[in-house]
Amino acid sequence: MSEYINVGLGEIKISRHLQDVLVAYGLGSCLGIGMYDPATHTAGMLHAVLPARPNGREELNPRYVDTGILALIHSLVQMGAKRENLIVRMAGGANMLTAPGFSPTLNIGTRNVEAAYSIFSGLKLNISSQEVGGTIGRTVRFYVNGGKMTIRTVGNQEREI
Amino acid sequence: MNHPDTQFQEEMRTLLASLASPGVVNAARGMSEMVGQALSVSEPHVRLVPFHDIPELLGGPESEAVGIYLRIEGHISGQMMMIVPHNKALELVDLMMGLPIGSTQSINSMERSALAELGNITGTFFLNAISDNTGFSSRPSPPAVMVDMVGAILDIILATMDELFDSVLMIQATFLRDGREAEADFWIIPDRKTLNSVSNEA
Repeated sequence: MSEYINVGLGEIKISRHLQDVLVAYGLGSCLGIGMYDPATHTAGMLHAVLPARPNGREELNPRYVDTGILALIHSLVQMGAKRENLIVRMAGGANMLTAPGFSPTLNIGTRNVEAAYSIFSGLKLNISSQEVGGTIGRTVRFYVNGGKMTIRTVGNQEREI
Repeated sequence: MNHPDTQFQEEMRTLLASLASPGVVNAARGMSEMVGQALSVSEPHVRLVPFHDIPELLGGPESEAVGIYLRIEGHISGQMMMIVPHNKALELVDLMMGLPIGSTQSINSMERSALAELGNITGTFFLNAISDNTGFSSRPSPPAVMVDMVGAILDIILATMDELFDSVLMIQATFLRDGREAEADFWIIPDRKTLNSVSNEA
């Protein structure tokens, strides 16, 4: 029986229990990033809201993509995962405001995704699978058993990415 | 907002509710004209909503809804969001088009335009009343209509902020038909600079 663990806004959840599924419900511009170490069956997911930490905020703040990724790796390593084993998956980052008249600076989904690419490239971590961008919301599930990521959108079935 | 004095916070809430009250009454008037039905509106509530609770408002983050969103710019600035359950949005389109309830089955580009116009009128009526009462003039941006999961729609409120604070101040009111049936939730989220200037004048 699967155990669903809610990964709320600006949160990180870590699990080593095979029955656990980490879930971020209804992601719009937010980004869900899952990392999994197959050797130790340790999985973690981040639900980040904005691309970059403002000056003066704590360095491992999970509300922001840049510091959230570092915080997720830090938490996984503390739980015994090896950084070099990590499989990375990512979903979300939609641009919900598509009406004319909104400034492109409000394309926060795109900015979140770009922030993640930049951090991963700096860390020399590859993204194994992803589904980002577009204009629709997604529920993202990350399975501790095997590190599989799925998404679900309104009116559609859950599917693996 | 993070003021230590809770009495100050209480006074601030009362002040904001009294400022917003004629705005939401007028917004209901504008919406009534659009849909051709007399709508009433609840007294506005001013709430400090914890950051984490935002996607949980309105039936949970995965439930399907329609969000009509615009930005407010000018002397006062902030965000306006109208959240309508999906079935209610279909009814509102029927009312605006003069169709029997149940005619509209899905939300496509024409239905989106109608709902955008509804947001435009509601927002404009709100701001006009605020301006008449306070002298602060502001204008609404063009509205955006989102048909999606509630969580994804509400992400927008946080995504347009520069920094995430622990709670968000919201002015909430509900539009009602026949005095009981909720048609739409109406939220105003003032920017922090607007809150600061209101509290300085309080």
